[in-house]
Amino acid sequence: MKRAADLALVVVLLAAAVTALVFGGPAAPPGKALAVLSGGGTPEVRTIVFGLRMPRLALALFVGASLALAGAALQALLSNPLADPFLLGISGGGAAAATAAYVVLPAAALGVVPAAAMAGAAASTGLVWWMAHGPLGPSSTRMILAGVAVNAATSAAILTMLALAPSPRLPGVIAVTMGSLASASAGQVAWLAPYVVVPTFVLLLHGRDLGLLATGEESAAALGVEVATVRRRVFLAAAALSGGAVAFAGVIGFVGLVTPHLCRLVWGANTRRLLPRAALTGAALTVLGDLLAHRVLSPTELPVGVVTALLGVPFFVVLLRRAP
Amino acid sequence: MRRVLPLAPDVTELAFAVGAGNLVVAATPAADFPPDVARLPRVAPNDAEAILALMPDIVLATTAGNDPRVVQRLRQLGARVCSMDVTSFARLGDACRLAGNVLGLKAEGERLGRKVDERVAEATARARALPERNALYVVWWEPLIVAAPGTFHDDMLRRAGLVNLAPASAGRYPRVDLELLLDPLLLVVVAPDERDLRESYARTIGSPAGARLASGAVRVLWIPADLANRPGPRLPGALEALVAAREADERQRTRVEGPGSGPTPETSTPTRQRRTS
Repeated sequence: MKRAADLALVVVLLAAAVTALVFGGPAAPPGKALAVLSGGGTPEVRTIVFGLRMPRLALALFVGASLALAGAALQALLSNPLADPFLLGISGGGAAAATAAYVVLPAAALGVVPAAAMAGAAASTGLVWWMAHGPLGPSSTRMILAGVAVNAATSAAILTMLALAPSPRLPGVIAVTMGSLASASAGQVAWLAPYVVVPTFVLLLHGRDLGLLATGEESAAALGVEVATVRRRVFLAAAALSGGAVAFAGVIGFVGLVTPHLCRLVWGANTRRLLPRAALTGAALTVLGDLLAHRVLSPTELPVGVVTALLGVPFFVVLLRRAP
Repeated sequence: MRRVLPLAPDVTELAFAVGAGNLVVAATPAADFPPDVARLPRVAPNDAEAILALMPDIVLATTAGNDPRVVQRLRQLGARVCSMDVTSFARLGDACRLAGNVLGLKAEGERLGRKVDERVAEATARARALPERNALYVVWWEPLIVAAPGTFHDDMLRRAGLVNLAPASAGRYPRVDLELLLDPLLLVVVAPDERDLRESYARTIGSPAGARLASGAVRVLWIPADLANRPGPRLPGALEALVAAREADERQRTRVEGPGSGPTPETSTPTRQRRTS
């Protein structure tokens, strides 16, 4: 059953990727896009497929995997099913900084928006970490409460900036706050790659520790887990994944929160096994969500975060109702 | 009529253009034309209390630029509100006449409306000599926001002999797929000439999505932003500027491609009508 699910996941991911390349836009019909993928095609269509659709696909894969992996790690780390990059204020910090940059900077300097988002995510991560430290060190509950507070503050900041933003800038701000992969480029993917690969490696390395932590900090410590070290590394790795995602795609909700639950319902609760599957499921979900976001009303684009929620929540509800 | 309060820059221009400038008691922060507006106190267009405190005899509003809840509230509180809905050049002339009527300057409104209609008709007639081309009116490059059918910008494209490729059923100014810039049917992009847009355009032509812009396969026609951004009495100037830009563009195409080089069967409209999403 689980092997069949693994196979199904790989098939869905590959199918989603090929569909995104073949049906991914209004300018190149599927036949011509397929010709390009087969090694032929005109230079114009090659530009469309390799210059626009391929970076967008790669960014969707990276962002989806990052968010889902960060969500799965944070839920295990904090033993809280509601934990995700959004709840902990990481996405909010990135979005607030990106919004501020988008509103304030001249158009020629908008290339630094992703860097601002990364800085904002890092700042909110540091703030949450600092706030979570009580006299007895950090605790899961304090960390979540600190995240909720930071999230509320960043939401207020974003709403204030939305109210004050000059109207031509509003679509860009909405792209940041509701998620968009429309401006993906090969350069962005290259920039994001280390923020995906290194934290992923760290989290997979700590998969067993996270599994033990999910059963409780004391029992994990009794079984040899260095709780403080693991907590710091995992939190920073999850923050790096989330910060990278929000820097280039804005806030894409749902993926980080629900994908791990969805995977648990299919593959069980073993965290070490769950992490890579959550990453692949999140990647597939984001690719499909983005495809729908810009193809359903093509050439009009919808915010990808809205679509991933619309796509995933009903599926999640069905699985939840059928679970024992 | 003694006290007039326009709640958007375009109706401010309209009030001054029909000769009621001396009756205008305040303007919204975005109003910057004519220069006499600078002397006026400012009022936020969504601040019903501040608006009523100015005791206007009539408030001029627009359906596109003002919050309908505020307009409704003002009416409930007894204010006389005249709301303009300029979504085409035909309606612009009507708006001039309506403004003249409600401000007690009927003859001036009629004169302005006729002048606007004549300028629009003349520019439209000039554009009939130009070949039809598929086009987009870009409001913002990153993300790509365009004017859809049902807007005065769409009407401007049509009158200038251009066929709007923007989707017809996704709001007035939808965000669209960047890939649209690489559509081989697209030949012209019209954009308001302002610094922000020029800068984001420079970034776009450096990206893969800007390949056809950079190669010149898609021509960008910049028109004065202060004329094109507001559906006010100066809007005919934007249409005239667009037609003039098109004429220059077609002359250049003829020089490069040789005489008699109209659009190819693939690119000439109406072979490809506007999209419906």
